[in-house]
Amino acid sequence: MDTIMDNTPQTEETPAEFAVAPPHKTRPGFLPIDTNTFDRCFISVVCFVAIHLLWMRFIESFIPLVMATVISLVLAVIIVRWG
Amino acid sequence: MKSNRLGWGFLSPTLIILAITGFLPFLYVVYIGFFDWNIFAAQKGLVYTGANNYRRLVFDADFLRSLWYTIKFTFWAVSSELILGFALAQLLTKDFPGKTFFRIIHALPLMIAPIAVGALWRLLVIPGFGPIWYVLEEWFGIEYRIGASTSQAFITTVLMDIWHWTPFVTLTMLAGLTSVPKDPVESAMVDGANQWQVYRYITIPMMMPIILTTVFIRIMDALRIVDEVYMLTGGGPGDATRYIGLHIFRVVFPKTDYGYGSATSLLTLYFTIVFCWLLFVAISTSQKNS
Repeated sequence: MDTIMDNTPQTEETPAEFAVAPPHKTRPGFLPIDTNTFDRCFISVVCFVAIHLLWMRFIESFIPLVMATVISLVLAVIIVRWG
Repeated sequence: MKSNRLGWGFLSPTLIILAITGFLPFLYVVYIGFFDWNIFAAQKGLVYTGANNYRRLVFDADFLRSLWYTIKFTFWAVSSELILGFALAQLLTKDFPGKTFFRIIHALPLMIAPIAVGALWRLLVIPGFGPIWYVLEEWFGIEYRIGASTSQAFITTVLMDIWHWTPFVTLTMLAGLTSVPKDPVESAMVDGANQWQVYRYITIPMMMPIILTTVFIRIMDALRIVDEVYMLTGGGPGDATRYIGLHIFRVVFPKTDYGYGSATSLLTLYFTIVFCWLLFVAISTSQKNS
């Protein structure tokens, strides 16, 4: 039986000690960029702070700050789940 | 499992040092940001105030003005450095007499400490003594007083930053220009593209990750400028050059308002991180597209 010679260069297998961790998986959502879990958490925190600052500056004299916290948390859940 | 343990073992010294020198002080600043703490206040020690420091901050005209001055300063300084740095890098890719000498001389400002740069520029522009003052006043008849004119003080701080940091931009751009492969450029020339088209459609798109990284580093540096400006103008005249770093310095040290200073620092950090993250997204998108 003829054997087919394989001329492709053999590479040494990477030792487990030096294996590179797989990159975080990104996925598309309603946000304009593909994001991974860390990105979505980060965007949620950024929105959380921005909403609170804007609320304190413009709205707090009419509606208490607790409402900003509630809105921010709801938004955070939406971003992490569907963003 | 073994590789995980080994990896964490190698990483642990760095992580411990980072936690002690970076993360714990950061958490402490976050904590202090929710307290009123002024060593000259009637009530000594920490007094819990909730979000009051942040509430005070969003209505603080001085802080908002400082933020606006910093954004203006960053825009003018970084955009000028980018244009000048790219032009100088382009010049350094050509051969001309004295090129090596110029290359060494133009990188010298990078080696000077920022506080010394401020002192040097103060000596250059000081009325009645500085050579820049002398040339502008005696040769061109321009009344040049950075202690009196807000616009002149602002322009001088921008020029000082350009003088200090353009060599850095030049060096990174030069590294980028020398790493651009020659084949696409030569192919475009053979196909009849002129010099401008080669730049517009080949060189600049290929250098975009390097350009964005340089801008990223420079913006972070410009947003936290303190010592050079402190030495040159001290934030004046009035508060025309009181950039955000200097504003925090004034709140924390002479006024000893530590709680409010912590809140100001955190908000500045927030703006810097958001700005840098937006740039990071731009870099990633450009790399993906290229």
